[in-house]
Amino acid sequence: MTGPTLYLALVAFGVVVGITSGLLGVGGGTLVVPFLTLAVGLSQHSAEATSLLVILPTAVVGSLVLRRHGVGNLGLALRFGVVGAVGSVLGALLALALPASTLRIVFAVFVGLVGLRLVRDGLHRESRRT
Amino acid sequence: MRALDSKLLAIGVVGGLLSGLLGVGGGIVMVPLLVFWAGYGQRDAHAMSLGAIIPISVAGIATYGVAGEVRYWEAIGLAAGAIVGARIGAGYLARIDERLLKVVFGVFLVGVAALMGARG
Repeated sequence: MTGPTLYLALVAFGVVVGITSGLLGVGGGTLVVPFLTLAVGLSQHSAEATSLLVILPTAVVGSLVLRRHGVGNLGLALRFGVVGAVGSVLGALLALALPASTLRIVFAVFVGLVGLRLVRDGLHRESRRT
Repeated sequence: MRALDSKLLAIGVVGGLLSGLLGVGGGIVMVPLLVFWAGYGQRDAHAMSLGAIIPISVAGIATYGVAGEVRYWEAIGLAAGAIVGARIGAGYLARIDERLLKVVFGVFLVGVAALMGARG
């Protein structure tokens, strides 16, 4: 895929990502990273970096919508997130230090575990939104 | 309003580590920890996690950005689609069989994991 076709595919896949995350609360990075590596051909590191830049605006929009509905406390959440940002820098530095093939396996294990948890939740428990 | 206690600090750091390492939001670990360990309600935990993802992702983007790994045009295209899709998804929330969807999507993710592992 090149040029406009690739771009249309990106936007269309973005819609799918938005729908699954809107419905299930998962499906941001777990879908974007495999798509960017397997279908678009980015490196594992670039795919993860780009995935974070997709997640940021969706989190901003989602947070503003929740705030308008009076759910949660955005001020506290942001301060909580600043603490998390320390972890995030460390995690990204660790990822950058790992070879792409190792990082890819770590990511694959993570996605596999998320998948198994969803199957288990769907089969064994009363519907509970996370 | 609750202060930032040691549990919240620990949950934030764990969520951030996972986010930076794997390029995901981190909600997949933060929401369950906020509910089962910190005693938040499901809705508040979700809102807390979503808000926290803002500074967490900014820090991750900056770190990967310094290394020259961020692809801006691809991100803009995906994000534009995702914001539209999230509205569509939210609209169907009340009408779906959530358990079936979880099973189908979970099986799909296990397949994705196997594909990525095979190409690793």
